[in-house]
Amino acid sequence: MWWLKEVAVIDPSQTISSPCDVLIKDGKVLDIASSLTEVDVSAKAQGEAVETIEGKGKFLFPGLIDVHTHLREPGQEEKEDILSGSRAAVRGGFTTILAMANTQPVIDKRALIEFVRLQGERAGYAHVLPIGTVTKGMQGSELVEMADMKEGGAAAFSDDGKNIQNAEVMRLALEYAKLTGLPIISHCEDKDLAGDGLMRRGLASGRMGLRGIPGSAESVIVGRDLILAEETRGKLHLAHISTAESVDLIRKAKARGVDVTAEVNPHHLIFCDEDIKLNDTVLKVNPPLGSKEDREALIEGLKDGTIDMIATDHAPHTQAEKTRPFAEAPFGIASLETALSAVWQHLVVPGRLSLDRVVEAWSVSPAKRFGLNGGTLKPGAPADMVLFDPDYKEVIKPANLVSKARNTPFLGKSFQGLPVMVWVEGRLVQKDRMVL
Amino acid sequence: MKWQRKDILGIEDMSVEEIRQILHTAKAMKGILMRPIKKLPTLKGKSVVNLFYESSTRTRTSFEMAGKVLGADTTSIAVAQSSVNKGESLYDTAKTIQALRADLVIIRHQSSGAASFLADILDAGVINAGDGQHEHPTQALLDIFTMEERLGDLEGKNVVIVGDVLHSRVARSNAWGLQKLGVNVTLVGPPTLLPVEMASLGVKMSHDLNSALPGADVVMALRLQLERQKSGLFPSLREYSQLYGLTTERLKKTQKQSIVLHPGPMNRGVEISDDVADSVDALIERQVTNGVAIRMALIYLLIGGSSNVVA
Repeated sequence: MWWLKEVAVIDPSQTISSPCDVLIKDGKVLDIASSLTEVDVSAKAQGEAVETIEGKGKFLFPGLIDVHTHLREPGQEEKEDILSGSRAAVRGGFTTILAMANTQPVIDKRALIEFVRLQGERAGYAHVLPIGTVTKGMQGSELVEMADMKEGGAAAFSDDGKNIQNAEVMRLALEYAKLTGLPIISHCEDKDLAGDGLMRRGLASGRMGLRGIPGSAESVIVGRDLILAEETRGKLHLAHISTAESVDLIRKAKARGVDVTAEVNPHHLIFCDEDIKLNDTVLKVNPPLGSKEDREALIEGLKDGTIDMIATDHAPHTQAEKTRPFAEAPFGIASLETALSAVWQHLVVPGRLSLDRVVEAWSVSPAKRFGLNGGTLKPGAPADMVLFDPDYKEVIKPANLVSKARNTPFLGKSFQGLPVMVWVEGRLVQKDRMVL
Repeated sequence: MKWQRKDILGIEDMSVEEIRQILHTAKAMKGILMRPIKKLPTLKGKSVVNLFYESSTRTRTSFEMAGKVLGADTTSIAVAQSSVNKGESLYDTAKTIQALRADLVIIRHQSSGAASFLADILDAGVINAGDGQHEHPTQALLDIFTMEERLGDLEGKNVVIVGDVLHSRVARSNAWGLQKLGVNVTLVGPPTLLPVEMASLGVKMSHDLNSALPGADVVMALRLQLERQKSGLFPSLREYSQLYGLTTERLKKTQKQSIVLHPGPMNRGVEISDDVADSVDALIERQVTNGVAIRMALIYLLIGGSSNVVA
C-alpha cells in the first residue's frame, strides 16, 4: 500500500485542488482525505506494508492520457517501438497512450489491433490502446470492419497521416462508427492545398523560400468535417488543431451542439513559424507551426474549452532522417518525454494556463471522450498517477532519453518541473526520472 | 578589410561592406579575365569541388572557369537527378567531401537551406550556387556588378524585377542585396507568383507591370518555369506574355534608357521578346562574363589566403 502525505492533489474530475493524503491499495485508489493519521492508515492497510511518500510541495494528478502518439510498430522499429514508446510515455507522465494506425502495415484489421494491444501489455508500462484506420489500407475508400476491431480493443478510428479526401467516405465513416460508439479522428488536411509544402505559408516561409502550406489546408477540412458530423450526428474528434480559423469554426459548431472534440499539440502552443530555422529540421512538423496569432487563438481555445484536450502527436524519427536539408526531412517532433514539462515551463509557470486545466485537458477529457479507464483519482479508480515536482531540474540530454528518437526541440534545454514518480495501476514504473 | 567568412550562403545576412569588398575584388578579376592569357598561379594546389544536384550549364561552367583561371584544381561530382530517397544522403556526401580534403565546395541543390546544411558539416568553405527557392547569392552579386558597371552608384536607382518571384532564388537574393545598397526595388508578377508573403522581403510589390515601369533604371525578367502552368499558377504563356513579357513597346514606359537583365536561360517570346533580348540595352551576355569575375572574386576571397592579386 502507498500513502502519499500532504500532496497537492489536482483532480478536476472531482474538483479537488488542495493538499490531501492519498492511499493506494491493490492497484486502485483507496481513499483521498484532507489528512490521515497513522491509526487510520494501518487500519486500512489490513496488515499490508505501507510505503510512505512525503508529498509536500509536489503535485499528484491522474496519469496523463495521450490520444495521439506514433509508436511506429509494426514496421518502423528503427524510429520507435511499443516498448520504447511506452517507456518514454511513463517517463514523461503518461499512463495511457493511444497508438496511431499509420504503421507498416497500417492497423486496419482486428488481428493487427490485437497485436498492438498485446505488445503494449507485454511491454508493461503505459496502457497502450490501438487506434484502427478508418479505411482499408488507409486508401480512403472502403471502411474497415469497425465493429470487429472494437471487439479487438480499438479505441478510435483514424487515417491520421493521410486525410480522407473523399467527403462521402468521411460521411459514411461518421455514420458507420455509430455502431461502435467510438470517435472518428480527422487528420484535418486538404491534400491539394497542402501540396508539397514544408511549413505554414506566411512571411517566414516567403523569406526563407520554403514552400508554404496555407492555414486553409487545415481549416477547410475542419469546416467540412464539422458539417458532416452535424448532419450525421456522428462522433468526431479533430486532431492537432493549429489555426485560429479552425478554433473559430469549432467554437461555433460546439455552440450548435455538434458532437465534436478537438486536440492541440504542445508545440503549437509554444512555438510559431518564426522560430523555424532553415538549417534545423527539428521544428518541421505537420500541421506546421502557425503564426503568433494562431498560437494565441489556440491557447484561448484551450482555456475556454473549445479545444478539449492536449495531445503530443509524438512523432519519432531517426537522426539520419532528420539530419537532412529541410525539404527532405520527415515531419514530426518526438515529445512524450518532454511535453508535460514543456507545457509546465512555457504555459503554466508564466500563468497562461492553470495546472488544473492542463490535467483536465490531458487526462480527464481524453478519458471521457474515448471512454477510457483513468482520468480520475476517485476511490476505486485504477491508480494511474503522476507525482510532479515543480522544483526538480533536469537538462534534456540524448543519453537520458528512453525513446529511440532524439528529434525534440528541447535537447540541451534545462527544465524545472518534472514528473518524478509515475504509477500504472498502483505499480511504480518511474521513480526519480528513471523508468523502472 | 580582411575577409572573415568561411562560406557564401546568402545575401540576406551579408553586410554592405562585404558586398562592396566582393564587387571591388571582382573588378580586378574582370581585368584578369579580359587578358589574352588568363591563368594565374594564385590558387595552385587548392581544390574546388562542384557539387550540382540540379542540372545547370552556365552556373557550373562559370564556377569551373573561375576556379581554373585562378589556378585551382576543379572537380565536378556528378550527382544523378535521382529522388531524395535514393542514393547517398547529403550528410554522407558531405562527410566524403570532408575526407577528400577539398578546400572549397560549390553546391547547387533543389532544397532551400541545403548550402547552409553543408556548410555546418564541412571545415571547407561553401559557396551557394542556388538552394531551392531560397538564395542564389552569386547571381545577385553579378547582377549588381553589371548594374554598377553601366549606372555607377546604385543608391536611389529603381529596379523592377518581374516574373515568378515566389519560386525565384534570384529575386530573393537580388531583393536583399539591392535594398542594402539603397536601391528602390519593385517586384512584379501575377498574385499567384507574387503572393502576399513575399512582403517579407521588405520591398514594393505590384501585379501591374505597366504601372511599375515608369522611372525604372533596370528591368530584370525572371525565367518562367513552363511547368508552372500545369500546376495552375497561370493560365497560359500567351496571357503571361501579354501581361508580363518585356517588349520594346512596353519598355518605353520607363521613359529612360533602361537596362535589361535576365539570369538565363531565356524563354524568348515568353518573358522577353527577341528584339529586347538582342537589343543594346540587354546586358545578358555581359552578365555571363561578369558572373565569372564575381565567382573568381569569391573563390579568391574564401581560399586565396594571403596572396594578393588585387593590389
